[in-house]
Amino acid sequence: MTDHLGELAALYALGMLEPAEQRAADEHLAHCDACRRHLAQAESDVAAMAAAQPQLEPPARFFAPAPAPPARKSSPYNGWLALAAALLIAVLPAGYLLQANLAMHQDMATDAQAIARVASSPHRTVRFSGADARVMYAPDGSWYCIVIRGASAPLHVLWPHDGTTTMLGTAMPHGDVALLYLPKSHRMEHLTLMQGDREVGQAQLVF
Amino acid sequence: MRPAPGDEALAAAFAAKERWAFDEAYARFGRLLYSTAYHVLGNPEDAQDCVHDALTRVWRSPDSYTRSRGAVRSFLTVCVRNEAITRLRAKARRHKLEERVAAEPQEHDELGAGDVIEQDRLRAALRTLPPEQRKPLELAYFDYKTHVEIARELNEPLGTIKSRIALGLRKLGAALGASE
Repeated sequence: MTDHLGELAALYALGMLEPAEQRAADEHLAHCDACRRHLAQAESDVAAMAAAQPQLEPPARFFAPAPAPPARKSSPYNGWLALAAALLIAVLPAGYLLQANLAMHQDMATDAQAIARVASSPHRTVRFSGADARVMYAPDGSWYCIVIRGASAPLHVLWPHDGTTTMLGTAMPHGDVALLYLPKSHRMEHLTLMQGDREVGQAQLVF
Repeated sequence: MRPAPGDEALAAAFAAKERWAFDEAYARFGRLLYSTAYHVLGNPEDAQDCVHDALTRVWRSPDSYTRSRGAVRSFLTVCVRNEAITRLRAKARRHKLEERVAAEPQEHDELGAGDVIEQDRLRAALRTLPPEQRKPLELAYFDYKTHVEIARELNEPLGTIKSRIALGLRKLGAALGASE
């Protein structure tokens, strides 16, 4: 985009632009100070609208711990992590991308930062009992990556907590490997793998 | 105890990616950001994930915020709201729209009488706009429609819709006391 944003600044601030328009606007904003200031006004207007809506008290866990901006630290690859990264980058076919985790996997396939999160962020690895599966997770619980080998059918990942069970998602097999990536904000200390109604594995996570 | 930094100091430190600025912004604007995400997504956990992911992305992205982008509060509010809208659209693509509409948003215990007054403040401000500006702005803000969808729905030229939204937004911002 070579023209100034003009009225598009309002649409940008309201989240109304089509993806191609958004990209063009971002490219222009990167080198146009006048348009950044124009956009700042529109963002101030939208923020005023947001502030005039009911303000809710977040859950206690929202503020503790704060989502620390992690330092970029290299971490040695292991076989499971390399497998996960390779799957995310190269192996996932279009059909798989249309499964239940569509948006998340599109993000993973297209967003190099997300790949970097899995590949190079500090993480821990825990094996599931009863299944050839691992969960790699951030020490602060901000993401989880579940990789199951020898998977022949979709596997559901559940989080039992506080007397209830939350269905987190379904790892769809590709070949004999299934993978599920979960960007989360909670520390999930216990995960259960289910195939249909049958429990096939459990993992205890330590934080 | 260090005194709370002013908006200018916070903006400069946030642009310089000083860690304390992230913590300060999170503490100061967290409730607004959470509420903004909640109003789009209708779910406490989704709202929390949305805020955390949006802020993490902003912080990790070089040059995502510069001083010329204005106040940190406005910038982050729009980042979080746009992230929430993106998530909502992705969800709508995955599920039938009617399933989402049928799902009751989770009750929020903290919604009190004062919040109803706040809701009225936005609605009251919207009512001051002429209908031709109010309608497209409502469709954009509350229904998360694109300008193309709104032009189609209102049977108006795209350029007309863009102009009316831009004009309506600036008037509404001024009525609500947005900084200029």
